[in-house]
Amino acid sequence: MIAQRLRFTTSSPTQFVDITDQLREEVKKSGLRMGRIHLQSLHTTVGLAVNENEPLLLRDFESLLERLAPSGAGYEHDDFARRFEIALDEPVNGHAHCRQLLLTGFATLLVENGDLVLGRWQSVFAVELDGPRTRELAVQLDGDFEPSPLRAEIRGPARSDRLRDGSPEGGTSLVSNDKELVELELTRQLLADPDPVAVPMRRLVEAGGKRLRPRLVQLTAHVGPRQDPLRAAALAAAVELLHNATLIHDDYVDESTHRRGRPTVAAAEGPERAIAVGDFYFAKATRLIAEIGNNDVTSTIADALEAICAAQIDDVALRGAYPGDHASYLKVVRGKTAALFAASCASGAQLSEATPDEVEALRRYGDLLGVAFQMADDMVDFSPSSGKPVGLDIRQRVLSLPLIYAAEDKVVGPEVRRLLAGSLGDAEVNRVTQLVRSSDALKRVGDEARALVEGALQELEAIELDGLRPTLIGLARSAVDRDS
Amino acid sequence: MTAQALQIDRELERLDGLWEDGLQDTYKSYLDAVGAYEPADRPRLALAAALIESGLGLQGLGGRAAAAAPLLMGDLCLARASRLLADHASQTLQVAFARAIEKMSANAASGEAGGAVRDFLVHALESGR
Repeated sequence: MIAQRLRFTTSSPTQFVDITDQLREEVKKSGLRMGRIHLQSLHTTVGLAVNENEPLLLRDFESLLERLAPSGAGYEHDDFARRFEIALDEPVNGHAHCRQLLLTGFATLLVENGDLVLGRWQSVFAVELDGPRTRELAVQLDGDFEPSPLRAEIRGPARSDRLRDGSPEGGTSLVSNDKELVELELTRQLLADPDPVAVPMRRLVEAGGKRLRPRLVQLTAHVGPRQDPLRAAALAAAVELLHNATLIHDDYVDESTHRRGRPTVAAAEGPERAIAVGDFYFAKATRLIAEIGNNDVTSTIADALEAICAAQIDDVALRGAYPGDHASYLKVVRGKTAALFAASCASGAQLSEATPDEVEALRRYGDLLGVAFQMADDMVDFSPSSGKPVGLDIRQRVLSLPLIYAAEDKVVGPEVRRLLAGSLGDAEVNRVTQLVRSSDALKRVGDEARALVEGALQELEAIELDGLRPTLIGLARSAVDRDS
Repeated sequence: MTAQALQIDRELERLDGLWEDGLQDTYKSYLDAVGAYEPADRPRLALAAALIESGLGLQGLGGRAAAAAPLLMGDLCLARASRLLADHASQTLQVAFARAIEKMSANAASGEAGGAVRDFLVHALESGR
């Protein structure tokens, strides 16, 4: 099943909007061959009708509605003195509600051979009764779709593609269902690959990870009117594979021995294999994204990949001036971490055909969230309860904002800088960790990360998110307030 | 400077050293292979192929692993090529290039002797038309 929203804007108080062509296009794009398309008005003053699109007849319909439920006929609904909790902009529209009662709020149309089943003179109308306004219809398509490997794999009676229902709970069921889809898609993709590359990648993927990037793709793929959970899961899985491919090369460059509690690919299989596995999944992920067939999405991810690689070079170059400064830190983090967060948000929205304003707002949300996430990650290196070895970033001379702030500190700064300039054994790493904790560096970083999250949340205020808002807010806050 | 040279110049940010160091020759060697594409697309498609060949060479794919710096430069070459293809190539050609890299890296991971990188990429250019 595919679920989506159809938006349109009306220009007069009563208007018959012919949506037949749009519905035909949605059926075509969905690949539905035999089945049904269900429509539901999301408004109490918008109805649906199937009739002939003949201008004089449409005027007859308007006249009929006016005769049956005349405007200004003294509706009790319009007597605001007797109503409770009315909005300041509550319209006088008793007639529109009554007219809607004469129409229908939902319709099911049959689809055969990939097209709507309509008689020669039949058109489908959304009937505006209280315009002009921007309106939305819920649309679901179900039945037999054109064969698609992904659809064949994951379609099943137990897995309905539930959509958000406008409530936080709706958002939760959406996330749960989305997670299942992306894990299935990752498993499916890894089963198809040759063992020499698939086995190391499977080990890395199965070791866990927060899956933040795929979640961002899937969540933002519900923002626009074209919502297809299967395409979103395909994109989300490709983004996760891309992220893991970059980690495999990073781990070799950083000489890391473990990731997610398991040996890195370079440590377990050797650097030659690690390079090949990284390259394979870099290429495979870009192919999967290209095959989705949305140029905006492909360009967004390609731009992010380039930013990641450029920042990784900057990161290594900066290690000569370790621990660096705030400006250099931000430049690297924006590329290494935030670029893919931002691209995940933007590409999901692009996939759903969200408006350019919505895409850009979500891109900024992802960018700020990505930087905040990295700052929180830096703080974890100083937390004894994180489950990770404390001071690993210091030992590997990884760029870290708490270290930068501690090195700038008037009290501990000179000793931190002296220790970081020399070789770093256990004693030196422990001492640097102690100095960072004793300064206000961690507090400063925490405050800065939380301020970035608040900035990210402000970006969401300008866009229509329906029931997604609580989930995106919760995700942003939890990305910063964490201990692992 | 020609329009073609200007196009290429814009795509070489951070890679100027590589251009002088062999990328330019690799680029020229692909110009014949892109002859069937639209004239406006040819320089960028040839550059994308050259960046992939140079990138894989820098990384040491199929041979001895490169050190950190050349590996990262190789990654940047692949990413730049990917972006060039995203912006200027058809979906068919993007897929053909990706499949070529998948094949070469799978061969390298399994220790199999694969063909020459250039053969794979020229084949991708031919099949991606």
